[in-house]
Amino acid sequence: MRLSGLAVFSLYVVILSPIHSAYASNSSLAERVVEHRLANGLTVLMVERHQTPIVSINITFAVGGIDEQVGQTGIAHLYEHMAFKGTRTIGTRNYEEEQPLLDELALVGNELDQRLREFDANGAGETDETRATIESLQERFTDLQAKASEYVVGNEMALLYQRHGSVGLNASTGKDLTRYMISFPSNRLPLWAAIESDRMAHPVLREFYKERGVVMEERRLRNDDSPNGLLFETFTSAAFRAHGYGIPTIGWGSDILSLTPADTEAFFKTHYGPNRATIALVGDINPREVIPLIEETFGKIPAAPPPPPLVTVEPEQRGERRVEVEFDAEPAILIGYHKPTIRHPDDDVFDVIDALLSEGLTSRLHQKLVRDKRLAASVGSDASHPGARAPNLFVVTATPLAPHTTTEVEAAIYEEIERLKREPVSQKELEKVLNNLDADLVRGLRSNSGLASQLALYQALAGDWQYVLTSRDNIAKVTAADVQRVATQYLTKSNRTVAVLVKKGSAKPVAATPALGVRP
Amino acid sequence: MKRGKVGRMGMRNQVGVMAGVMILLLAWGSASYSAELDLEVGDPRTMTFDPVEFSTPEPERVVLDNGLVVYLLEDHELPLITITATMRTGSWLDPAEKVGLASMTGAVMRTGGGGGLSAEQVDAELEQFAGDIHIGIGRQSGSASLDVLSKDLNRGLEIFAGLLRSPAFEPARLELAKLQAIEGIRRRQDSPGSIVSREFSKALYGADHPTARESSVESIKRLTRQDLVAFHHNTIHPNGMLLGVTGDFTKHEMLASLRKLFGDWQKGAVPELKIPDVSEADMSQPVVRFVDKDTSQTHIRVGHLSIKENDPDYVALAIVNDILGGSSFRSRLFNDVRTKRGLAYSVGSRLYTGMHDQGVWMMKAETKLTSTQEVIERFVANITRMREEPVTDAELAEAKEAYVNSFVFSFASSSAIVSRLIELEYDGLPKDFLQQLRTQVIQLTKDDVQAAAKKHLHPDRLKIIAVGSGDALVKALSTFGEVKEIKLTPEG
Repeated sequence: MRLSGLAVFSLYVVILSPIHSAYASNSSLAERVVEHRLANGLTVLMVERHQTPIVSINITFAVGGIDEQVGQTGIAHLYEHMAFKGTRTIGTRNYEEEQPLLDELALVGNELDQRLREFDANGAGETDETRATIESLQERFTDLQAKASEYVVGNEMALLYQRHGSVGLNASTGKDLTRYMISFPSNRLPLWAAIESDRMAHPVLREFYKERGVVMEERRLRNDDSPNGLLFETFTSAAFRAHGYGIPTIGWGSDILSLTPADTEAFFKTHYGPNRATIALVGDINPREVIPLIEETFGKIPAAPPPPPLVTVEPEQRGERRVEVEFDAEPAILIGYHKPTIRHPDDDVFDVIDALLSEGLTSRLHQKLVRDKRLAASVGSDASHPGARAPNLFVVTATPLAPHTTTEVEAAIYEEIERLKREPVSQKELEKVLNNLDADLVRGLRSNSGLASQLALYQALAGDWQYVLTSRDNIAKVTAADVQRVATQYLTKSNRTVAVLVKKGSAKPVAATPALGVRP
Repeated sequence: MKRGKVGRMGMRNQVGVMAGVMILLLAWGSASYSAELDLEVGDPRTMTFDPVEFSTPEPERVVLDNGLVVYLLEDHELPLITITATMRTGSWLDPAEKVGLASMTGAVMRTGGGGGLSAEQVDAELEQFAGDIHIGIGRQSGSASLDVLSKDLNRGLEIFAGLLRSPAFEPARLELAKLQAIEGIRRRQDSPGSIVSREFSKALYGADHPTARESSVESIKRLTRQDLVAFHHNTIHPNGMLLGVTGDFTKHEMLASLRKLFGDWQKGAVPELKIPDVSEADMSQPVVRFVDKDTSQTHIRVGHLSIKENDPDYVALAIVNDILGGSSFRSRLFNDVRTKRGLAYSVGSRLYTGMHDQGVWMMKAETKLTSTQEVIERFVANITRMREEPVTDAELAEAKEAYVNSFVFSFASSSAIVSRLIELEYDGLPKDFLQQLRTQVIQLTKDDVQAAAKKHLHPDRLKIIAVGSGDALVKALSTFGEVKEIKLTPEG
């Protein structure tokens, strides 16, 4: 137990006197966080804020799309959906009677999935006999589903939370992490502890096949029908050929339709141990009450064995890759460069480059491409796509301003990237970056849910929530020479992937780079 | 769960809203308290808790001699200050041939320099000290905000006042904003979600109505700098503006600064917000329309115009909507269409109400082409059920508990408290409007709910708009009435 009396005491000092030094030194955040680790490896982070009797909680598991096996893409995200279906007590009228039905449904479901895959593969070559088999399987399946549904108390977990005044109940899955968030009146903490410890220990994957259908609709909505969604999916899978970062978090459609309850439960058992979880609580709480509550509930869950190691390393990229997506939409462009991730000093330099290029109206890409040359309607960048647990991408995005083309925009982006290599950045620009970072850190303390999210994020990602402060200090040390060196080393033609959204039906091919007259 | 334990946690929360010393004592006092806790937490389904009680700090309201209203609430937890400005203007004032004028005026007030500073000076200085200023003009109001570290208040406020009072509208920045607006118009048809929302709004209000109309490439091209100068001059006045100040300041100094920067701004004629109602004939006309776009899902909106927020049935109808589709996981549409049938990821209903135009009640979902008809049938079946059967006791109790227990979140921060009061004053509603709603929610009966559903949900007036692909869509929609196609123009 690492609860330090000193840390608790310093918080009250903070509340009594405004922390005017917050932007000068980040110590105030460090003083306000109370940290506790359970014997089973669960990490708990707490910040007291007593203005309003509410609390925001973020539970983050260090598991995501990156942990999936071939043929099971989307399973991390599907499990996140299933985690709302209840437990052996919540969401059921009688688990003992429900369970055998769920087992049988899974058997029939597997068989049906298999037959349907074969049928799709053989197409018209299938016999009437096969069709009849599938139809009878489908009947049994529908019948079992109806029987199982009689035991279901739909969305009972969410209903309990809502009745008790919760807001913002949600979850998200990424390549690196899966996160569950909620806010509620703080005197209902025992309710939360009972529900969440139960779902960390005994989830029941009821209504599995219906939810698989829901996830397919989510895939259509986010990726298939969204020009940006499809562009990012195509871009990322072109940039990563070996590493799991190349696979969309939501999964490939065919994989989603082949996921089984057994696979999904196995994924849960492998990856959802308390030792993979961080719980951040921010609001009107008292750590001296929260810790025993969490010990008595979550503390009873055994630690899980270490998950299978992530072994695949993306091989060095040896030449530019270019892809196109045709869509009934106006053009856009994405450019990405492989780079190292957190804990590597160059990652902090990329945070500076990211801000220099696209943060605010005075950022370089905005000034040059949007304001001066009027080539682009919008520009943006991101220094850790699509995650940060493994080496990732620095990405620049832009939408051209008609009649200008993605080709012109691309050339102008390369000019700015070459300028980063050629000219040292002024001290004033570096100061601006740091001032904005410091202000963001203070603004991040404003909302309970935002702060809970930040703390759990860095704990799960970097193994230490204080990384948010360490990283700030590292960024403060970045020099103009660092920017030039990192730009020269990573922002090269052979290390980049370019994806272009092309209006469907427009005949113009994407010009290859030599025509641009710029040779990065 | 033992009530005693929960009760004590509840008590702690009541003092939690008071500052400092009391909390300190209780926290230290609880060292022995936690040892005696019975931590058999028990069954969450049967837990009960003390009501959520809280008291909120009362912001101060001051009116300057020129009519500028200022709400102030000090909050010294963080070294930050936020000032918002709510302005009695809006795109409802746009001339028919210059739709987009109000929005453009707001955008270039922010980006075009002002208060004696060039656009470049404003951007450079603000961003150097990480100050944020936003200015925008929407359909029924204008809004602006300044967000600065408290050490930068004075300079930040000078710049903010300069942009609000004497924007320069630099021609180059106006030109850029026009190009960006035109590009936005060209990209309107990219996403099916954007298309269906805009077409639904036009089907409800009519394409020329101030609540639904849209700018065009032509209307944007017509805008001149003189138009923006005049729009600002004619519609933005201190006596039509409400400031909300929260954060790390002292009231006395803040008021002195505000008087210095805004005090000599002369009053003007504030436009009186009036939006015409849609005719009864247009409102009652059912409509089925589709947009043909190459998509994998049909994007569906179904609904009709509804009441204003001051309608006596507002609370009852809000609870109808909550139970029908407004409350995500808890709602009937979510359980029916998503959980039980697996037909949509995002499904639900919304009741949008304001004080100045008729509200909108609608149901929405995105589903694969082959389940389009089934989803719309479920929509219709669910509203029919809302009208014909009373809701269950459990549903009404759950809806009430959810509302009452989450009420505290409307007062979760100083800025939330102040902006709530400003919104209510802007709309001419009493400052305890929310508390009045809460009282009405508690008193609501099943009969009230069913009566509101019968009176305000009209299956015979549904406007159905769908964006999707192919002949199969037309066939699916034809079950619900005569289907007409909406042809999109390439330029939005």
